[in-house]
Amino acid sequence: MAYFIGQILPYITVTVFVLGVLWRLWRWAAARIVHDITLSPFPQTKGEVLGIYLREIILFRNLFKFDLPLWVGAWPMHMALFGVLGGHVVGIYFLGKQFVYLGASEELSKHLSELLGTVMGTIFLAGLLYLLYRRAAIDRVRQVSNPSDYLMILLLIAIVSVGDFMRFFPAYGIEYEPVREWFYTLATFQPAAIPDNPFFILHILLVQVLIMIFPFSKLMHLFGMFGMRWIVNRVQREPAPGLPNVDVAAARAKGIGLPQAGAGDAA
Amino acid sequence: MPEYKGLKIPARATDEEMRKIHIEPVPDEQKVDKAIQYLDEIRKKFRSFVLAMESCVKCGACAENCHTYLGTRDPNNIPTMRAELMRKIYRRYFTPEGRWFGKLVGAQDLDLDTIMQWYSYFYQCNECRRCGHVCPFGIDTCEVTMIGRQILHWLGIVPKLHASVGASMERTGNHTGLTKAAIVDTLEFLSEEIRDEFGVEVTFPVDKEGADILYVPSSADFLLNPYTLMGAGMFFTYIGANWTISSHMTEAGNFGLLFDQQHTMRHLFTRLLHTAQQLGVKKIVWGECGHGWRAWKMYLKGMADLPLRWEITHIHNEVAYYIETNQLKLDPYKIGRPVTLHDPCNYVRACNLAETLRKVIRACVADFREMYPNREDNFCCGGGSAILFDDPEMYQLRIKFSAKKAEQVRATGVGKDGNGILCAPCSICKAQLYPMVEEHELGVEVKGLIDLVGMALVWR
Repeated sequence: MAYFIGQILPYITVTVFVLGVLWRLWRWAAARIVHDITLSPFPQTKGEVLGIYLREIILFRNLFKFDLPLWVGAWPMHMALFGVLGGHVVGIYFLGKQFVYLGASEELSKHLSELLGTVMGTIFLAGLLYLLYRRAAIDRVRQVSNPSDYLMILLLIAIVSVGDFMRFFPAYGIEYEPVREWFYTLATFQPAAIPDNPFFILHILLVQVLIMIFPFSKLMHLFGMFGMRWIVNRVQREPAPGLPNVDVAAARAKGIGLPQAGAGDAA
Repeated sequence: MPEYKGLKIPARATDEEMRKIHIEPVPDEQKVDKAIQYLDEIRKKFRSFVLAMESCVKCGACAENCHTYLGTRDPNNIPTMRAELMRKIYRRYFTPEGRWFGKLVGAQDLDLDTIMQWYSYFYQCNECRRCGHVCPFGIDTCEVTMIGRQILHWLGIVPKLHASVGASMERTGNHTGLTKAAIVDTLEFLSEEIRDEFGVEVTFPVDKEGADILYVPSSADFLLNPYTLMGAGMFFTYIGANWTISSHMTEAGNFGLLFDQQHTMRHLFTRLLHTAQQLGVKKIVWGECGHGWRAWKMYLKGMADLPLRWEITHIHNEVAYYIETNQLKLDPYKIGRPVTLHDPCNYVRACNLAETLRKVIRACVADFREMYPNREDNFCCGGGSAILFDDPEMYQLRIKFSAKKAEQVRATGVGKDGNGILCAPCSICKAQLYPMVEEHELGVEVKGLIDLVGMALVWR
């Protein structure tokens, strides 16, 4: 089983993910932007368009403005997610010594790395639990939910819980080195055995399930939001106002529209 | 009262009426297959639709931001649920997860009941795009509504109201079936009204060849909103423009946008270009109509099949320009009543008119009060996309859809003394709000924006 999860499944996972995402993106790209459905007020420069993208991606400004209780869960959850993803890549690659480049000692760097990971992982889990509660407890959100919406969030909770567990109980956790070693063998197509830690293996299995589901789930919103904003946020310029052959001053001097003196219009 | 298994549905066009708008209604036993075929064709064409189908996360942020849900608390009026009526079918037939894990992801086989649900709920959507505006991803549920209505149209399911307007567009070039005689007659009458009320001489040139400007009013202005037409006439006369109204193309709206964005919408587009060509005008100026302005401003350029020879601007843009350049003399104290502004959805979320409206209204009235939320955050009047149905049950829905608007108007306090003005510069908003301000007892009179311009003009 560990052989399958650690040495065969990763290749299947990556293949499904890459082909699945490409297939979906291709389907989107094959359909056209038929009508101009830009949302106004229209941005006047590419810079303003970029501003809209950034405020939505970084701040989730629409949620903040129009559904604050959702923002309270969604924004920290996503920020923690970015932090956790970045932390995994950097922490494992540098073996926790990334902060040495910022002037910390190796010891301090490892501590910082672990502290950041723990904090992010906790926020991530708290955010997910909040969103799960919201989905189940608020009528209008429950009404719009399908079973897959709950399963997706439960899967994420499971992944994060196992990860956090390994953080909080280092005795059951795993060091950076063996993980990096194992990834290295995977990347060079000479897969070695996965480090023998049941929690780590479970973590890796669940993550692979998530990655395989990704192209066939609502997680595609990661790409979809760019696709949709590409359609509705565009530079638009107004045609120049001003009417042909119109001279208001001359018209007013002539008194156009005023009853002509002596025209006999007593009414 | 038309009803289908407890669903609220507007009266349907008969088969004969559908044939008048070139549609042979699909027999019931073939509807499902045909609908899937049409959906398949459309999903391959419209990216906005595919993205709405595939990237919604069901966060529910749209729910409390949709006035139809706020007014009815019907879950199917939550924008993402409205889209789900289509999405569950889309998933079932066009995605692997829907084919193999249907139950899990909420996919469902298409049947006649679902088609009738489309008919009920896509005609309870005002296509106001507030959901698209508030969605964190910008998913525009209006696109789903429009495509739902397009498929229903091809199946032969269209409200009587929309089908009869479609037929009338083809017959006369306007929604209300005005003939040239009726147009000339009404305009002469309006000239007299202007003379009596404002003491100025305004003539409305009809079909004048060699005119510089073609003004395209909403045909509803002839029947329901005379002051809008009078205001436009006074504006053009005041600035000494060489302008005309065409009897061949007397419609600022375009119901094609609302139920058939292909044949019906294109028909009126072609008609305009033909008319402008014949009259030899230099510029086309659009009258007060929300959905219409969206169609002509945003859709015409993509459907005209040629680079447009004529610039088309909205009369509000032109009035604002002459105000900004100090060429119009307006006396804001002529209208001594408190005024609030309803921002028509299509103007502020699709056509960039929010600030223009304010430039004009501030110059025309002294006591202007904003309602909240306003501009692109504004709520729809509840009549958007012409769901102005009169059958009793649908009329009750219109009252519910306008509840949010009533609340906003009340909060401004303009109707406190019963002499307020609710400026709603869009034909459909006006048609919806005339009865709704009575239903909600708001103490306001509904007026257009050009109405106010006409009233505030200083001639001497």
